[in-house]
Amino acid sequence: MIWTISKRIINVIPICFFVYTAVFFLLRIAPGDPATAMLGDYASASAVAALREEMGLNQPIFVQYLHGLIGLFKGDLGISLASGTPVVDQIRAALPYTLELATASLVIGVVLGVPLGTLSAVKDGKLIDHVSRIVSLAGLSIPSFVLGIILMLVFSIYLPLFPAVGGGGRGNWYETLVYLTLPSLTLGLIMMAYVTRVTRNAMMNVLSEDYIRTARSKGISERKVIMHHALPNCLVPLISLCAINFIMLVSSSVMVEIVFSRPGLGRVLVSAMLQRDYVSLQSVLVVYAFLIIVVNTFADILYSIANPRIRAK
Amino acid sequence: MFKFRSCALIALAVTMAAPSLSYSATRDLRVAFGVSGINSMEPARASAHIERAVASMVFNGLVRLPAGSANVADVEPDLAKSWTRTDDGRTWIFKLRKGVMFQGWEGGAPYELTAEDVVFSLKRAQDPKSSNYASDYKGMTFTAVDPYTVEIRTPDPISETLMLAKVMNYGGGFIISKRAFESLGAQKFRQHPVGTGPFAFKAYKPGREVDFVANANYFRGKPKLPGVEIKFMPDQSSRTIGLRTQELDVIEGSSEQSWVNQMKQYPHIKIETFGPGSSSVLFLNEDTPPLDKLKVRQALAYAISRKAVVAAIGQETAQPLYAPFPGKFLPGGLTNEEVDRLGLAYHYDVNKAKKLLAEAGYPNGITLKVIHTELSVMLRPMESIQAQLRDAGIKLDLQVVSHSTFHALIRKDASQIVHYMAWRPSADAFLNEFYKSDSDITKGRDPVANFSHYSNAEVDDLIAKAHREVDSAKQAEMWKKASVQILKDLPVIPIFQARSVIAHTDRLELGYTLNSNLAFFMPITEKTDLKD
Repeated sequence: MIWTISKRIINVIPICFFVYTAVFFLLRIAPGDPATAMLGDYASASAVAALREEMGLNQPIFVQYLHGLIGLFKGDLGISLASGTPVVDQIRAALPYTLELATASLVIGVVLGVPLGTLSAVKDGKLIDHVSRIVSLAGLSIPSFVLGIILMLVFSIYLPLFPAVGGGGRGNWYETLVYLTLPSLTLGLIMMAYVTRVTRNAMMNVLSEDYIRTARSKGISERKVIMHHALPNCLVPLISLCAINFIMLVSSSVMVEIVFSRPGLGRVLVSAMLQRDYVSLQSVLVVYAFLIIVVNTFADILYSIANPRIRAK
Repeated sequence: MFKFRSCALIALAVTMAAPSLSYSATRDLRVAFGVSGINSMEPARASAHIERAVASMVFNGLVRLPAGSANVADVEPDLAKSWTRTDDGRTWIFKLRKGVMFQGWEGGAPYELTAEDVVFSLKRAQDPKSSNYASDYKGMTFTAVDPYTVEIRTPDPISETLMLAKVMNYGGGFIISKRAFESLGAQKFRQHPVGTGPFAFKAYKPGREVDFVANANYFRGKPKLPGVEIKFMPDQSSRTIGLRTQELDVIEGSSEQSWVNQMKQYPHIKIETFGPGSSSVLFLNEDTPPLDKLKVRQALAYAISRKAVVAAIGQETAQPLYAPFPGKFLPGGLTNEEVDRLGLAYHYDVNKAKKLLAEAGYPNGITLKVIHTELSVMLRPMESIQAQLRDAGIKLDLQVVSHSTFHALIRKDASQIVHYMAWRPSADAFLNEFYKSDSDITKGRDPVANFSHYSNAEVDDLIAKAHREVDSAKQAEMWKKASVQILKDLPVIPIFQARSVIAHTDRLELGYTLNSNLAFFMPITEKTDLKD
């Protein structure tokens, strides 16, 4: 296990290096640059040239590349070309919002999805099963920005219970929770759809296993069979799903962040893309890569805890 | 199981219901712009509307356009209480108000504005390395004669209209605090502006908002609002919902008429539409066949119904434009009526367009390559134009790209038609940047935005003479003559004049009449207030 974790940690370096290099050169192939984006309809040739010089974009491309790479290894993510603020400050301000959104959504998805999927499998072919499958299909089909707007209309306008826009201040957990509710419900309900499906399928497979039949034949109550024998065996596919979906939630939170005008890493990314802010974009994508590795490593650990066979290997 | 679930749901509902009381309205004005961030709060680097709006809250010019007006003819004193011009028309003396205080900043106390700050600011505006407006100040010298007197010398005689446009509360004309700039440094000053305006910088939260607090020392009196929160909210629907839930007081609106109509239905919400907005024009690349032929350019003009384009956008959010820049807001511009009287309006006539194409040698129609931005405010009208031109046998090969890519490609001469939306504060700027041969994007001596490669010695001469003319009336006449010649040569087809749209709660009191604004947003002044 320690060796697996160590390998993953060592992998961080080449992966981040690869992401940085690929993004650096791909961005510069695309037409347009930050100076043109910043100047907009005032982008005359001389104004663009002057601003490019100020931004350091007139240096040879490999000098820029090495400069950025050395900074990255030193932990300095550079200064945003667009806003002039240190990128690390932008990420530090945005990351907690994204992480708490992804975590809360995952929790909602699991808390609602696991019981619904279990119930659906246990009551296979019954009304509850059909309802759960329809809900799950709807969750898989509805785009997050549509669901977000529906929730805003219902819970902010018609039933004015929650704020519709913003992320709340830091340091006040109650305010954080209030501002988190609708965005996390938006992603959480979609997440629930995935979890319901996977749980249902896993539960169906487990319920047809011999040891379940044995347990039932011993006269163990159905509730105990489900909770103690079947459900723990459904955890393995669920852990993989949660790990994959946590990454998906982090990366797809951008739509929800925009719809709810909530701060977050996704908004930093989109803003940097629109403004051709190379420095911010490179750094944010490296942070994403880092997050993916961390989450996958964490999933591996959980996976081995849940599955003794993997631990034995 | 069910009991537990019901209890949990009730607990969740109670927890969720309770906080609804905790976000009651504050007295700070909460304003949402449709942007994802702000690049620079230093005025000389301001190019986006949010940056201009912020600059007008924090800074002042030597003179100013009164709040709610964008007409240079309305200019009035601001930091300067008076000004005089010497007989040669090259030297200008501005006398400053006494007792105007700069806002304080991190590590610096408020202090009195002097000529030194004015000279410092204008020199920065003149430097291409620090300013987007450097070309407006080319060859000018600035001197602090005494603490309250500034002398400005221009290389050529210059009219009052042009001079005041350079030192008013727009672009490079804003006066910044020299001491704050030197103390904070250029990089920090971009996010920590310090001026003499009614609101002082409070906090900047990248990607979220920038907050301002009332400047108690403001020379026109303490602002009625205690502060202003400028929020970055790119999504239109969330801005709309935020206004409806009263979490916001003012929002940037949509130029779509349907949105305007929808907002009018909500109680407690008011809509403001105002000018000047951007002039939408099509520059025709005269260097590429078949647009090198006048008859083809005329055919294009006749094949476009400006009224139909405006209908596609919105009757309240756009107006047809028939002149290269509108006389309604700029001295020296032609009004639509004047263009009509001159017979240069090229009113929609598809048969005439087809006939002209046939006469030019293209009876089977033509295909033109157009690189276009993805911005919907520009793309929607262009799609209407594309459909109309098809009826005349003119096919547009429309290639839609991101906005920054669009700006990069059109300057590389990649598009036969360039749909451009822009505003400039004077006729001189419009003519110099878009129609002077020196401004040709590829062949010009000082390339700016002459996308048509338009070159007419008579027009060049008129632009140059008008630039040096000190008599504002004669100058305006020359600008009009240049516009007339441009319409005859047709390197450009004027399409529409956009109007800015904002929506606000009915608690808002502007404190002035909003007819027009150069920042394309409502000015927030010391008189702006929120009713209880």
